Amino acid sequence: MMGKNNRVSCTSGVSESIGFLLIFTIVIAGIGLVTLYGYPMLLKQQTSADEQIMEKNMIVLQNDVKSLAYKTIPYKETSLRIGGGVLTVYNSTYTPASSSIKIYDQNNIIYENSFQSGELRYSSDSAGTDISLQNGAVVMRRHVEPGSVMLAEPRWFYDSQTNTMVINLVNITSTGMMAKMGVGTVQMELGETQFLKTDTPPLTAEVYLEYTPDPVQDYSIAWNNYFQKTLGMTLISGTPGNGAMLKYQLPPTNTLVIKQYEVNIRSL
Amino acid sequence: MAGLKDDAQWIVLMGFVVSFSLFFIAIVLNQSTVIGQTTAEAVLEFPKNDIRGVRDVIIQSEFLKVNNIRDVNNISNVQNDIRTLSLSRQNSVVNISSTQPTISNPYTTVDIHYNNGVMIYNEIWRSK
Repeated sequence: MMGKNNRVSCTSGVSESIGFLLIFTIVIAGIGLVTLYGYPMLLKQQTSADEQIMEKNMIVLQNDVKSLAYKTIPYKETSLRIGGGVLTVYNSTYTPASSSIKIYDQNNIIYENSFQSGELRYSSDSAGTDISLQNGAVVMRRHVEPGSVMLAEPRWFYDSQTNTMVINLVNITSTGMMAKMGVGTVQMELGETQFLKTDTPPLTAEVYLEYTPDPVQDYSIAWNNYFQKTLGMTLISGTPGNGAMLKYQLPPTNTLVIKQYEVNIRSL
Repeated sequence: MAGLKDDAQWIVLMGFVVSFSLFFIAIVLNQSTVIGQTTAEAVLEFPKNDIRGVRDVIIQSEFLKVNNIRDVNNISNVQNDIRTLSLSRQNSVVNISSTQPTISNPYTTVDIHYNNGVMIYNEIWRSK
C-alpha cells in the first residue's frame, strides 16, 4: 500500500530559494553583459552615426558650393549639427595650404600658378577621421592610416568630342579662422569669379598639372584616383600618398578652360 | 511553488517583443542617415532650361541673314559667343556644326553638342 507520504508530487524537490538564486544570477549576468559589451557598442554606434551624419552634411555643403559656383546663386545658408568633432574653416591664405595646383604647358606658359583652395574641415576626435571640403570635392582620411578617399567629386570634366578640359577651382575665403561644434549655421556667399579660356590656334602642346598636397593633411591618394580614373590624366612623376608633389599630363586638350570661384564663408 | 500564479507571463513576452522591435527600428534609423541626398540632387542637376535656351539660340543663329543672304561672318561670331557664354555662365561645353541645304538635300541640319560634366546632350536638328 502506498502511503500518503510516498506519493511523488510534481513539485517535490523544487526549492524556491535555489530558483530565486538561478533567476538572480541570470539577471546579474545579463546586466553585466550589457555594461561590458552593449554599452561600448552603443558608443561606437553613436560615433559612426556622427561620422556618417557629418559625411552627409559635408555633401550638403558641397551642394551649396555647387549652387553658388555653377548656378550663380549669390548666397546660401545651411543649418547642421556637428557632433563628435569640430568644423573649421581654413581659408586659402592659411599655411600650410591644403593643396596647391599649378597648370602649365610644355612651352612653359603658366595658366595657373600655385592655386591654393582653402578648405572646410571636419575633424572627428572620437572616430579619428578628417572630412574635408576642398576645391569643390569632399575627401576623407583617417588620422593614423596613409590612405584617403573621395566621397564626392568636384565638377571638373573633359569633353572628348571637342577635347575641352574644364577645370573648376573653388577658393574658400573667410575673414579669419572659424570653428564650430554643436548646432550651427554655415553662411556662404559667392565672391569674385575668374574665367580663362585658351584655344589659341589648336593648342597642341601638352598641358601639365602639378598637385602639391599638405604633407600632414595628405589627400593625394583620393585626388590621384580622381585625376587618373575620372579625368583620364596620366601620372608623370611622384608617388601619391607620401606628401610630395605629383605631376600629371592632361589628355589631349584643344581648349583649356580654367574657372575660379571665390566662396566666402561669412560665419559658421 | 504552490500558489505561484503564471497569469503575468505576457509581461515577459511583451518585453521580448518591445526589445526586438527597438532593435529593428535602430537598424532602420541607422540606414536612413545617408539615403535621400543623391536622388534630390539628381533632379536639381538636370539642366533642362539651359539646354532649351542654348538650343533655341543656336537654331536662330543659323538663320541670320543680310540682304536675304546667309550672313556667314555674323553667324560664326554669334556662335563663338554662344560657346564662350555657355562656358562662362553655365559651365557647359557647347559645340555647333551645321550643313547647308543642297539640291539633293534641301534642309539645314544643325548638330548640337552640350556637355556640362553631369550630362551630355546631343541633337541633330533638321529644318522641315
